[in-house]
Amino acid sequence: MSQPDPLRAAMEQLGPDSLSELRARAAEKFGASGFPSTRMEDWKYTDLGLAKDISAEALSEFRADLEPSYAVPDIDAHWLVISNGSPQVGNFSGIEGVDVALLSEADVDLQYDLPLADLNLALLSDGVKITVGANTQVQKPIGLLFFDDVDAGSMVAQGRVVIDVGQGASAQFIEFHASRGDAKKYANVFVDLDIGDAASVDYARLQARDAEAVQTAHLNVTTGRDAKLRHFGLDTGGRLVRNDLVIDIAKTGADVEFNGLYLADKGQHVDNHTRVEHRVGPARSKQEYRGIIRGRAVWNGKAVVHKGADGTDAQQANHNLLLTERAEIDAKPELEIYAEDVKCSHGTTVGQLDENAVFYLRTRCLDADQARRLMTHAFAMGVAVRCPIDACATWVESRVESALNALVKTEAP
Amino acid sequence: MLEIKNLSASVGGAEILHDLTLSVGTGEVHAIMGPNGSGKSTLAQVIAGRDDYEITGGSVTLDGKNLLELEPEERAREGVFLGFQYPVEIPGVNNAYLLKAAVNAQREHNGLDEIDAFEFLKLAKEKMALLGMDQKFLNRGVNEGFSGGEKKRNEILQMAMLEPRLAILDETDSGLDIDALKAVAQGVNALRSPKRSIVLVTHYQRLLDYIEPDYVHVLSGGKIVRSGDKTLATELEERGYDWLKQAANA
Repeated sequence: MSQPDPLRAAMEQLGPDSLSELRARAAEKFGASGFPSTRMEDWKYTDLGLAKDISAEALSEFRADLEPSYAVPDIDAHWLVISNGSPQVGNFSGIEGVDVALLSEADVDLQYDLPLADLNLALLSDGVKITVGANTQVQKPIGLLFFDDVDAGSMVAQGRVVIDVGQGASAQFIEFHASRGDAKKYANVFVDLDIGDAASVDYARLQARDAEAVQTAHLNVTTGRDAKLRHFGLDTGGRLVRNDLVIDIAKTGADVEFNGLYLADKGQHVDNHTRVEHRVGPARSKQEYRGIIRGRAVWNGKAVVHKGADGTDAQQANHNLLLTERAEIDAKPELEIYAEDVKCSHGTTVGQLDENAVFYLRTRCLDADQARRLMTHAFAMGVAVRCPIDACATWVESRVESALNALVKTEAP
Repeated sequence: MLEIKNLSASVGGAEILHDLTLSVGTGEVHAIMGPNGSGKSTLAQVIAGRDDYEITGGSVTLDGKNLLELEPEERAREGVFLGFQYPVEIPGVNNAYLLKAAVNAQREHNGLDEIDAFEFLKLAKEKMALLGMDQKFLNRGVNEGFSGGEKKRNEILQMAMLEPRLAILDETDSGLDIDALKAVAQGVNALRSPKRSIVLVTHYQRLLDYIEPDYVHVLSGGKIVRSGDKTLATELEERGYDWLKQAANA
């Protein structure tokens, strides 16, 4: 390249090591594709302009040696920290039957055909591979803490975790996103989760970034025969957030359920995209996402039932509560069915608080704010109680409550 | 206790209540009857504080206090209770939680401490037994998936917990089978007290077989066209409302 390339210059600070070659290839691909644009169907409602701007600034002042800085949330788990893009595996205490290694020392295929995955790989200092041995029942949740904390300038952090849950094993994972500090921050995280035959995984993605943070997070799941997944996603923070959950059902008997709650205040943009590939049947997928919105949110749930995937049961639901006339949701359920014998359903609702119910509660001595908060809380907890990891339940409820207190204000809807 | 003087109210420019005057004394039970569209429910909602209606004239006072100046929750804390014709389902809001929040909001208003959790549960169970309500309803969402009869019992349960000074029961008998009607009536009768006034809004005389009113009023065209004792209800049952409507229009 004749022009000095900031991405390449930044990348060179990260090596040389065993990932150098992968980074170079990824950088080349990303150099050609750039960020996804709103001209692409999957990105129609989410403009990554802010992520692009922060990246450009961050690359011009890129430092590979940012000190880690973080606070572990008050949730009982084995915490594995990735702070400012750098994995702190040394702080992770061993769990029987679970192997933790740096990606630079593991043999993993990290390539994806996605621009953000290329960006992730091009600038990845290192990632983590977690292997849960066959038939291992992990008792305490394993927490992946993505924490960014920089005070000045701009920073871009890549997080990458590859999880392999062996046959017949069971484990719980908490993917926790948080940030603080005055720097402009963009975090781009990819997690691969491979659930083995007859294995079971509970997964909670809890996002509580600061109000200015930008995040793109991608969880890619593949399920083995009779594998089970229970997933819950919570978004309460961030200025621009995009989460992708992709589940690939390539073996029969999979049972996956994923639910989510997003709270978007004024100035926040929260986008959740889910995609289930039903390649074989019988298998079951069920999702319900709920949103409480003062700002802007997007939900796009897609289920593709491939030819021959008979016995598929795919259900999706999305319910949104708009708190003001300026609040906005783009909700898009998509079912593509190419098989014969399937059971599929989807339902989307967008509405406001039922003022009749608010009046009812007021005639029962509750003031208007109390009534609105109570109803909003009930709507939120209706899905938040489905967080499959008990260790998170208290944290989730109190986070939802404090976020709602800020969201449900005195002004009439 | 309740004094309504020359009350007029309209919605969307259409007058529903017209120069209505009604006085309910302490400890009395009044029945307000009338054909559909006569303004019965509007009257109940206006007293409770629904802001969909524009008050164009008159006054409503409770023991001399101007209710029309108060928010719905302030009226409720002052002792006004509205039993809804169509109780609202509020999914996810726990019935016991609402009862307790309501009782505590009222206690706070009256300068009392929060109710003791044990005391609350004991009281709620007592009242439920009286209404023939299963205790499982305490842990359900407010009216969520309740049958018509269960919803109306739940209204009376709320009333029993709040011990209002003035209870307005809007079509409490509608959609009830005879057993539910008896249970609801028994609940209401148990709450009759020299310190409490009750206004029953009803289309049919049937409810009055079980809750005997001291006075019966007929509402037609937004005002009271006839008042009398309980025999008026029987007369209405026999003759219908048309003769009164004609008399009112004349």
